Amino acid sequence: MGPLVVNEIITENTNLFLAFIIGIGFGFVLESSGFSSSRKLAGVFYGYDTVVLKVFFTAAITGMLGLLFFSLFGWIDLSLVYVNPTFLPSAILGGVIMGLGFIMGGYCPGTSFCGASIGKIDALVFIGGLFLGVLIFGLGYDIWEGIYMAGSMGDPKVSESLGLSDGVFGLLLIVVALAMFRVAEWAETKWPREEY
Amino acid sequence: MKAQNLLALILIPMGLIIAAVPPNTTKPYKLTAGELLAEVNTRSQYVTPETVADMLVNKDPTLRLIDVRSSDEFEKFSLPGAVNIPVADLLSDKYTEILDQGVKMNVFYSNGTIAANEAWMITRQLGYSNNFVLEGGLNYWFDSIMNPQKPDNTSPDEEFAKYDFRKSAGMALGGGAPVQAAVDKTAPSSKPAVKPAQKKKKAAGGC
Repeated sequence: MGPLVVNEIITENTNLFLAFIIGIGFGFVLESSGFSSSRKLAGVFYGYDTVVLKVFFTAAITGMLGLLFFSLFGWIDLSLVYVNPTFLPSAILGGVIMGLGFIMGGYCPGTSFCGASIGKIDALVFIGGLFLGVLIFGLGYDIWEGIYMAGSMGDPKVSESLGLSDGVFGLLLIVVALAMFRVAEWAETKWPREEY
Repeated sequence: MKAQNLLALILIPMGLIIAAVPPNTTKPYKLTAGELLAEVNTRSQYVTPETVADMLVNKDPTLRLIDVRSSDEFEKFSLPGAVNIPVADLLSDKYTEILDQGVKMNVFYSNGTIAANEAWMITRQLGYSNNFVLEGGLNYWFDSIMNPQKPDNTSPDEEFAKYDFRKSAGMALGGGAPVQAAVDKTAPSSKPAVKPAQKKKKAAGGC
């Protein structure tokens, strides 16, 4: 049955419309979970608030389980689901730049728009920086292209690289995630923050 | 109960289930029997020998002839530029890239049309498009293109036009002589190597 667009069950436009609706829901949940506060977001780096880690890992393993079960029931053909191609050097470099920006600015790109939507000044400044970064990357593409496109690995899955089945790797990831939640909660009591 | 414990209680059993069951490798069929029957009834999968001959003579790069007979038969005779994918090996991974694509016009042929139609039906059910069947197969190819029969003098002009086209196409493709002669001309040189497919193509999309 799925993916719906690839199998032409819904059109590209319907797909975009659904994405719009889901996007609104996503933004609403982000805001109501406090993701529009840069102090809360940055807390994951200092240990006083690990909600970012918990929310995103819960979302990831929930989505993963959903896809695996859908595939098991024959509701979705996982070989047709788009997987971002892996460029390891640029992924690491990009991760470092993004992480630095996250610590300094207190937002990641998505949550900055979340904060801007309720009128946070720091979020607006962050978005300004984001566009600056986009401009620098776009105009200087010739300079970055070498690093950007280096080390193409296709679209491997971690489970394939480890020689595990998707299900076994999924279980491992769930156990690791739950253990991480424990560590995160311990960190919150270890390095508490009075008020933010 | 703490939210985290509740989460663990739900997620760990689900993880255990998904780890224990084998992955689903079945491919959902794309067409229902009714849809396939409708396509078969319109005979839209057929390409006439004239069309193929015309494309061959004009060296149309979009044409890809696929010989679905056994490799022995393929060695003895094949159409110019054809690749050999016996029906028995149709589902082999290395041919996926040839059969599942949106650029070329794949034309299956066999001696008659049965094997070619088998190949067409299977690929159609897998959801591949751009695959067709040479109408009448090789037998009709020889009758119509390689050794066309001159129509009766009383035939309409169209018949003569068709005959002239067939005759000239047949000549261009090494016909107009006994079939045996054509066999020698299209010996191994007309056999491009089938490159094994690197990886299955995925639908683009995502964020």
